[in-house]
Amino acid sequence: MKKNFIIVLLGIGLIIYASTIIASRNTIYYYTTSETENIEITTNERIKLGGFVVEDSVSQEDGFTVFTITDGNKDIEIVFDGFIPELFQENMGVILDGVLDNDIFFADDMLVKHDNEYVSSDGETYDVKSYSK
Amino acid sequence: MMLYGPLAAWLAVSFFGPYDVTQGIYSKLLYIHVPTVWVAYLGYTLTFIYSVFYFFTKKQKYDSLAVANAKSGVIFTIVTLLAGSFWGKQTWGTWWVWGDARLNLTAILLLVYLGYIASRQFNKDLAKTAKNSSFIGIFGVIQIPILHFSVIWWRSVHQQASILSQETVASGDAPMSVDILTTLLISVLLVTLVHIFLSKRFRISNDILWDNYLNPKSRAKI
Repeated sequence: MKKNFIIVLLGIGLIIYASTIIASRNTIYYYTTSETENIEITTNERIKLGGFVVEDSVSQEDGFTVFTITDGNKDIEIVFDGFIPELFQENMGVILDGVLDNDIFFADDMLVKHDNEYVSSDGETYDVKSYSK
Repeated sequence: MMLYGPLAAWLAVSFFGPYDVTQGIYSKLLYIHVPTVWVAYLGYTLTFIYSVFYFFTKKQKYDSLAVANAKSGVIFTIVTLLAGSFWGKQTWGTWWVWGDARLNLTAILLLVYLGYIASRQFNKDLAKTAKNSSFIGIFGVIQIPILHFSVIWWRSVHQQASILSQETVASGDAPMSVDILTTLLISVLLVTLVHIFLSKRFRISNDILWDNYLNPKSRAKI
């Protein structure tokens, strides 16, 4: 029965080891727009790019959604073809998966990154009428 | 009955509580996701403390307390993962992000404590079982600080902490509307009560195991 316990301990050790590897490999889950200037990426290499959607930049062109994201220092134009989460809107943080080509980022996967602010409708009480938006 | 009161109150508070206008009604999952994970941390921390006590004193009550808190912690970890995953689907647009440190580490936290519970079955000798499990209870707690700081150490999809952050603690001002904050803190209180009564049940069932182990003759009479 001691054997079983050793197996469990080994299992836990393995899990903790694997988690450290996974976590350290993903130190940078996505690049900011400014960082794209300093990283070396081969043609057609998929990267993840994060930033905030610039106001009044969202438009539809030939079935693609075109918009600009920024990290405050550098803007990058995005050509997006894929599922758009409901929460996607101006000034919202997004993380895109795709290919950077001559400062235009072609992406087909989007995650909306919400910040840690929570603001209720009136800052007071729950309102039954506003339940269905 | 003491268990179902706080449980019902918590669900009612979550259902009728205020929500973030940008994220919509699904941001009410905040009242499920955040309190459950905090209480899971609490449970595992208590498991750590009682495991240390058991290891040095070999008193059965500490083992029962350690087991009870771990079991309750596992239940709340499962709830927090389910609620968080559903919330992720509604805001991020996906159920799970494999590259995110906090998500992966939480899944691993669950696995480790499922391992703790499984380790209870590996030896018929309860005293040996308790000693073996106490190792897992002692070392498993290391994950909690790593998890807490994961959103700061690693750039992630998961949002930063709103309450337990340096800014909030320093300024005393959380980035939340007052009603959302109040509802959240009430939820935390209610979930803590649920945990107390739930872990009490687990403790009693483990006490019975110890009683059978220490007094096999009295069990034979029944």
